[in-house]
Amino acid sequence: MMNRHCSSFTVNINALQTNMTSITILSPHEQRLLDKNTGKDSPFREQHRRAFRILESFEGTRPQIDVERAQYFTESMKQTEGEPLVLRWAKALYHIAGHITVSIDDYQLIAGRIGPQGRYGILYPELDGDFLDAAVKDLPNRTESPFTITAEDAWTVVEEIAPYWKGKTYHEALNAALPPEIHRLTYDDPQGLRSRFIVNETSSFRSSIQWVHDYEKVLKRGFNGIKAEAQTKRDALDPNSPLDQCEKKPFLDAVMIVSDAVILWANRHAAAARELAETETDAQRKKEILLIAAHCERVPAEPARNFHEAVQSQWFVQMFSRLEQKTGTIISNGRMDQYLYPFYKRDKEQGLLTDEQTLELLECLWVGLAQFIDLYISPAGGAFNEGYAHWEAVTIGGQTPDGYDAANELTYLFLQSKREFPLHYPDLAARIHTLSPERYLWEVAETIKDGSGFPKLVNDEEVVPLYVSKGATFEEAYDYAVSGCTEARMPNRDTYTSGGAYVNFASALEMVFYNGQVKKYPGQLLSIETGDAAAFTSWEQLWNAYKTQHLWFLRTAFIQQYLIIKLRAEHFAQPMGSALHNLCMKYCLDLHTPQIPEGINLGYFEYIGYGTVVDSLAAVKYLVFDKKRLTMPEILDAMAVNFEGKEDIRALLRSAPSYGNHDSYADEIAKEIDLLSLDYSKKYSAELGIHNDLRYVPFTSHVPFGKVVSATPNGRLAWTPLSDGTSASHGQDVNGPTAVLLSNYVTKNYRYKNRAARMLNIKFTPQSLKGAEGTQKLVSFIRTFCDLKLWHVQFNVVNEETLRSAQKNPDLYRGLIVRIAGYSAYFTDLSADLQNDLIARTAHNELH
Amino acid sequence: MNCIESDGQQSGTVFNIQRFSVHDGPGIRTAVFFKGCPMRCRWCCNPESQHFEPEVGYNEQRCLGTARCGHCLHNVPDGIISCSENEKITVNRSADAECFRQAAAECPAESLFIYGKRKTVAEILDDAEKDAVFYIRSGGGITLSGGEPFAQGGFSAALLREAKRRRFHTAAETAGFVPWETLQTNCRFLDYLFYDIKTLNPAKHLEQTGVPLEPILDNFKAVLSEYPALPVCVRTPVIPDFNDTSEELAEIEHFVAGFPNIRYERLPFHRFGTAKYRFLNRILPYCVAISS
Repeated sequence: MMNRHCSSFTVNINALQTNMTSITILSPHEQRLLDKNTGKDSPFREQHRRAFRILESFEGTRPQIDVERAQYFTESMKQTEGEPLVLRWAKALYHIAGHITVSIDDYQLIAGRIGPQGRYGILYPELDGDFLDAAVKDLPNRTESPFTITAEDAWTVVEEIAPYWKGKTYHEALNAALPPEIHRLTYDDPQGLRSRFIVNETSSFRSSIQWVHDYEKVLKRGFNGIKAEAQTKRDALDPNSPLDQCEKKPFLDAVMIVSDAVILWANRHAAAARELAETETDAQRKKEILLIAAHCERVPAEPARNFHEAVQSQWFVQMFSRLEQKTGTIISNGRMDQYLYPFYKRDKEQGLLTDEQTLELLECLWVGLAQFIDLYISPAGGAFNEGYAHWEAVTIGGQTPDGYDAANELTYLFLQSKREFPLHYPDLAARIHTLSPERYLWEVAETIKDGSGFPKLVNDEEVVPLYVSKGATFEEAYDYAVSGCTEARMPNRDTYTSGGAYVNFASALEMVFYNGQVKKYPGQLLSIETGDAAAFTSWEQLWNAYKTQHLWFLRTAFIQQYLIIKLRAEHFAQPMGSALHNLCMKYCLDLHTPQIPEGINLGYFEYIGYGTVVDSLAAVKYLVFDKKRLTMPEILDAMAVNFEGKEDIRALLRSAPSYGNHDSYADEIAKEIDLLSLDYSKKYSAELGIHNDLRYVPFTSHVPFGKVVSATPNGRLAWTPLSDGTSASHGQDVNGPTAVLLSNYVTKNYRYKNRAARMLNIKFTPQSLKGAEGTQKLVSFIRTFCDLKLWHVQFNVVNEETLRSAQKNPDLYRGLIVRIAGYSAYFTDLSADLQNDLIARTAHNELH
Repeated sequence: MNCIESDGQQSGTVFNIQRFSVHDGPGIRTAVFFKGCPMRCRWCCNPESQHFEPEVGYNEQRCLGTARCGHCLHNVPDGIISCSENEKITVNRSADAECFRQAAAECPAESLFIYGKRKTVAEILDDAEKDAVFYIRSGGGITLSGGEPFAQGGFSAALLREAKRRRFHTAAETAGFVPWETLQTNCRFLDYLFYDIKTLNPAKHLEQTGVPLEPILDNFKAVLSEYPALPVCVRTPVIPDFNDTSEELAEIEHFVAGFPNIRYERLPFHRFGTAKYRFLNRILPYCVAISS
């Protein structure tokens, strides 16, 4: 099942595949949630009137594709051909800042949107301009699409924007650069528009991987301060140095231009607010609008002086960042409870701010976030990013740069806001460490129990030492911010922005059984031959075949990445992101430059289908070579017919030892598989100039990746989702959540540093967390998670709906244990009426 | 007394070891379910725990059927499993459960299984030790449940003694119908005790549980007096038409309140044992059936 946080907003465009654009915005579940939560029955409506009013203003409205950003960006790029890329980018941003429509939202206390009223998405033709026309051509004719584009805007895209980009985009260059054996595992078509979902490159549907800016720099110095720094550096350049004149000067010019651009944009908002105030008849609202105007005149040009200005300033930066480029999973928010805290504290002490006002301002941010939709146009990006849209991670808690606990009063307000705000915004991430205070973990646990599954947790005890081993100082490592789904960033030390390969190792497994081929593409040798599996007579033969395929996939991923790193810098620049980065300013290099001195390049590739592969190998080893209960031909025959009429074989395969149960039989195989990747990374990463480390974070790609993998020997049916992250295969974790954590722990090769995030989702039934005792148990569970040095965990507190789906798909929920005092059984063993009884009790929270 | 002592005391029969048990004592625990109980409560939700010997369970719903599968027919002595009319199987329950063990182990759908396995103290504690990292943080440990754990009193004491030597937090769930000496020995190694009191009406107790109330109450008082430092939680399962009147429940609560520092809990009635009666081919007890 998809993770809750990964299924939030779904934007899926497969324009070219079907010659018709199909877009889904909200899952039915999300829509119901939205309807329900903004409805009259929310207990929080009274206390949060402003947020609810703003939500109602766009609730049910059809999101719109806005072309202004794409249009002005293209207009400017046409004028600057031949100039250094970073300078062209800065000029384009200045052009956008000066022309894009600015408006002040009703009821809002902050300003800065980059699209029309309501929900909207924007276009990045530098990524997909060459096929953008085909993608949007049909949009105005559609009546059912929840995403609209006006006929006039569609015309602009087709006639003015797209033609310019044909032959100029990065993905065209990458497509042409990939050697044939790499290309065929990467793309499904010669143009490189459709992914194979085998060794999937992710660099072409976004300009940067997930990222966090050093927002504090703007709050403290303002863009005028940053501009002044650039000016000073520029004045000090050697007028005779070719390097200074050809590289550093354009960079510094770009920083000054982009600083002016952000300030110009803010000032235009100030003017719009002043104009609006003149016609505003409500005295209270007029006061608010004039306050907005005053703030926009002040920030982000100058340092923020109070909490409200700080919030406004941060908001301008993150929205302008979205204008600058498409950052994977949306630009993250960083350690908000840290950099906003001094403003909060001072305002509180001076009696200028109450906690209610603080919450209201935070909600003004959340409703702003909720109106921006991360739109994917590329067919690969679209299918791949199903439910990909908003990981604008707000980080709370953790440690100070000195290594002491960082929780403060504002931290608790973020948690309160998470419990009371009716939508799944923001994507809240709580850092955990061994000495996290009890109150902090208690409130985190209570918030998780509230049912939304947030906050997700990231573990300092894993991230900090690991980052130090990769070259960071303790100070930098202690100050990391969660970025995107599970990643951790050190905003002034990280210098790597290239999207990495998502590698479908379940497909590698399939190739073991079909000698380098997969059923989806019959007759094509996509990988290499590793022998006729039917003739394998030992586990060693099977393992060696898997290992050979595995390494071939890694070879593909690493060569792909080498070319990606080389090519990207010719196509992408980010003057504002660079202006906010100490190392970029120090060396006058754009952040997309492949190598920046002193930078740490924290790259990664993804292992997709861990549980699927481990369980498949374990099942064959156990049943064929150890117990001799099945033969290889029997398994191959059963896979070939997708287990139809072979239900006994399927059941047998599913009953074999599997990952996620703290069972050493499966876990030892899992650890060996982990090691294969670590060794490869250790050997070849240096040639890429990065840490190209092993990560297990599928987002929702285990769904589309599963669609290209036929039946697997773990009993998984053809084309169904793969296992997710480092979670167990669906329904296979029958020993409960402690075993899931421990399986994760024992399969990690802690002596290596070549690892990145491991994403882990754990389900809890509500009755196991009931009451204060339940909260206490969740707290101690989290502490053990921390002790085990696991990277990430997110909890899913099973609700009525999940139990209903377990009723319908018992296979996928075999591990759901009913925990009642002195009693134990699996949910799926209960008869329908008893399941209904349990569901009713769950809804009423009646269980002990 | 129906109490069976286990031979050598270093091994006994258990039917389940459940990790992440969170309603059976402080913290995160591993519950060890002992097989065998001297009582026959009409509402029993763990029918597989009643007999001391291993038993065959069969989940017909999960069974793939003899047409598609039928592995079990060839894995048992003649005649003890046969095809049924609906292409599922019929189990001859008069045969020794051990005769089914091979077939159960190889049943692909895990629809045929054996409740109960002999395990040694070391095996159980090695298993329980797997979650030790969770006990440290949560103050959890091992809980002996059942069945009646003290009905295998020598074994339970050996298990608890070794658990304490390994620095586990120990708890047990008893209904108290065991010889005082057994209880006395076991409590020495306990950090927490759950004690069931189902009613204070002796006649009703005998009728609905099959055993007299008096020794249970005597044992209870003896435990409290001999182990005053042992935390005790009294539990009453609330059973329709048995003890679910407010007067009766208040009476029990009042009785418990007469002793210092005793925690008291009511366990809401549920019928989640129903499926297991079916797996054992047993008749659903009246009080479970009527609430359906």
